Amino acid sequence: MELRINGELYEVDVPEDDMRLVWVIRDSIGLTGTKYGCGMGICGSCTVHVDGVPTRSCITPVQTVADKDITTIEGLATVDADGNETLHPVQQAFIDEQVPQCSWCMSGQMMTAAAFIENNSNPTEEDITTAMSANYCRCGCYARIRTAVAVAASNMGENA
Amino acid sequence: MSEQTQTPPNTQPRRWKMSRRQFLIGLGSGLGLLAVGTFLGRKTIVREVRLIANQAFLTGDAPGAQPPDNPSIWFEIGTDNITHIYVPKIEMGQGVHTSLAQIAADELELDWETVHVHQADTETGFDPGVLFTFGSTSVTDLYQPIREVAATMREMLREEAAAQLNVDVSEIICEGSRCFVISAPDSTLNYGDIVANRQDEWVIPDKEATLKPVSEFNLIGQPVKRVDFHEKVTGRAVYGFDARLPGMLYGAVARQPRYGATLVSASAGDAKSQPGVVAVVIREEFAGIVAETRPQASAALEHLQLEWEGGITWNQADLEEFIRIKDDDEAILIQRDGNVSSMFNSGNIIQAEYTTPMAAHAHLEPQAGLADVQDDFVTIYASTQAPDMTQSTAATQLGIDAENITVIPTYLGGGFGRKTGTDAAIEAAILSQAVGQPVHVGWNRTEEMQHGYRRPPTHHILTGSLDDNGNLLAMEHQLASGDVLFWSTDSAGGGSSVLSTVLGADPLAAFGSLIVYNAPSRRVLFHRRKMEIPTGFWRGLGSFPNTFAVESFIDELARSANIDPIQFRLNNLPEDELGERMRVALETVRGTSDWENLSSESVGRGIAMTWDRGTVVVLVMTASVENGSIRPLQAWCAVDPGFVVNPDGAAAQVQGQIVMALSSTLYERITIENGMVSNENFHQYPLLTMSDTPQIEVITINSSDTPTGGLGEPVIGTIPAAMSNAIFDLTGQRLRDLPFQLNQE
Repeated sequence: MELRINGELYEVDVPEDDMRLVWVIRDSIGLTGTKYGCGMGICGSCTVHVDGVPTRSCITPVQTVADKDITTIEGLATVDADGNETLHPVQQAFIDEQVPQCSWCMSGQMMTAAAFIENNSNPTEEDITTAMSANYCRCGCYARIRTAVAVAASNMGENA
Repeated sequence: MSEQTQTPPNTQPRRWKMSRRQFLIGLGSGLGLLAVGTFLGRKTIVREVRLIANQAFLTGDAPGAQPPDNPSIWFEIGTDNITHIYVPKIEMGQGVHTSLAQIAADELELDWETVHVHQADTETGFDPGVLFTFGSTSVTDLYQPIREVAATMREMLREEAAAQLNVDVSEIICEGSRCFVISAPDSTLNYGDIVANRQDEWVIPDKEATLKPVSEFNLIGQPVKRVDFHEKVTGRAVYGFDARLPGMLYGAVARQPRYGATLVSASAGDAKSQPGVVAVVIREEFAGIVAETRPQASAALEHLQLEWEGGITWNQADLEEFIRIKDDDEAILIQRDGNVSSMFNSGNIIQAEYTTPMAAHAHLEPQAGLADVQDDFVTIYASTQAPDMTQSTAATQLGIDAENITVIPTYLGGGFGRKTGTDAAIEAAILSQAVGQPVHVGWNRTEEMQHGYRRPPTHHILTGSLDDNGNLLAMEHQLASGDVLFWSTDSAGGGSSVLSTVLGADPLAAFGSLIVYNAPSRRVLFHRRKMEIPTGFWRGLGSFPNTFAVESFIDELARSANIDPIQFRLNNLPEDELGERMRVALETVRGTSDWENLSSESVGRGIAMTWDRGTVVVLVMTASVENGSIRPLQAWCAVDPGFVVNPDGAAAQVQGQIVMALSSTLYERITIENGMVSNENFHQYPLLTMSDTPQIEVITINSSDTPTGGLGEPVIGTIPAAMSNAIFDLTGQRLRDLPFQLNQE
């Protein structure tokens, strides 16, 4: 089948129709920035965008996203014609605020945050907490994630 | 400054030559490269000493000790003026690649932008024991040796610059990866130029290089930003679960249904004919599948014909009864001060019991490894804190010499003590050997919850005696714990090692159990609980349960004496340097948190203190109860590890421990049913999220000019105690069992 990921078309051989998207993205295609954590859609490490909507790829059967636009962490930054990469405001804020520790959950955190601030340029702390409370971080970076999402939202608003 | 997962082309393993001063210099230096290192391995030194002793005893002829011919830490500067720093510690989120590189860069006077940090691996000749990353010891162990290598290299560059610029060496200043002449700042050479201009081989000078004084540090002590974040936020960083090789297959391994059960018979059944299955691998006590995809490998496991025998049939009640301290127990004395025979014959006696359950590490990257086993050469990518152990275990399991096995440690998606195991990498190696192709094994969450090992359960009985003025007369801590260290030294369910027999008490389970407060009589008794359920290292080791029990009990004593809990601690501090550090930390947090004004009708306050492996910690927390649920509000934590190398990294470690420990305090409990852990995934083992995360203020204290203790673990046990004490302050309920359950009446 064909999958459209980060604007590119991939032809993949999927042995079972209900194979979970996370394994197709990671193992068949080799984009390993999307992480596996629980396989039940609880921890959020595997979050990708499907037509802009944050989606848990570990519980998403691959055939349900056949005609959709999928974005992974590898597609969050923009690259110009000369190959220069500009990080997404969320990625930049996660570096500026020194958010990650081990960073295994951070792709999912950033994908969740990027979709959230797309529609919320001026969120309250409570809004951020509500939006981000379904993503686990075992290293305990929550306080810094909260700050970085606020910074990213504000920078996103300025650039809009 | 950057970190790359891929090794640069100019860093092939090189040969080394020993200098007179026990430094090693890379052979070929002088041909556009300067490489200097040193060895650190205790194991090598022990091996050499034993060799001398044994040979002298057996033959009467003592050989000379042979120092290792490979460095444990080293740096290289090339003509491009880039400095490559090889870090012999695993990056599992704690920021060790950054903090060790900033120590080196400061002493070597590097321009931080020219620093490239690399993970060292077993191929580069590391001594076993140095790569093993554990126990919050990386910075304290390596701080001095790294500075010595860096200073030696700096002085070599300075001398060479003086020769090349034709001035006296005292005229040369090193700064920002360059040397310049004091009186003529335009006369300058960068390190790359100096290396390029050097015609002869470099020589380690006989004179010992002087280390920089603290007052001249420009990177050590600064909140230097992490070197690994760009590749992490772009999704490019490679963890064990992400390792890839051409032609790789996926493996899955059958798991025991009960702890202690043995696989008495195994056959392929119809597993071989399942979709995608490449091979069924059955060996002694091992049955696994190799398939084209990961889901196919897992799915085929059900089709194996396996017969398991024996094992335990315990339920949670059996475990809790087993752990409890009993009157006829034979306990091991691990602390005794003063007269203990009549320690509770006088004063007001207070006694309380505490329990902690088993807990999972719940690192979000499960165990993972990729192995490529060829006839004469093995490559293993492993998400492990212990690459050396991975190498030696693989050698035994595969029947291949360790020298032919390269272990490449990847980034770790969390470790917390669980990745000292080598499980997945070894399973991948066994499967790869069977099929002759690379095989990746990545555990799923249920395997992670049920197999491997977990934090042991504990039971504590604390007894104290106070005089009428509230002075502490006597204190006793009796503790029962499952194994931490002994699980790995004693065979499962079988015999005991010399170590556990001699010691009796598991030293790592006893961390944090000793009584540091001044009392005329003190005693700690340890009750070992050897079980079939695997238990072991969990962040902080014994200091999590023990600090919870001891520091909650100190609060109970203070309440009973009607003395402010901070004042009660101050009144009973040891009269030595440690006591002074504790006093400073207590006073600091009392001030910063505005302790006197923290309590209100809706807010409780609690304090806890500990001393753990060289680091003093004081934590104040506030909490409320909302709709029947405990809510952590704010935390103020002072840490004194002697000297802080990176204050922002230190703060991150403290914040992380507070969140992890709050999660364990409020939610986490592993239970057992029919001889197996019953929690299968996060729906039965929820973790704390952002909505329960308090405001956290971290205060770092430098009581010395050198690091004396680590920061990855010492804070963790203070959190449940401070929370228990805060909830008592607010509600009058004393919560003595983790995770906390409020009495809702």
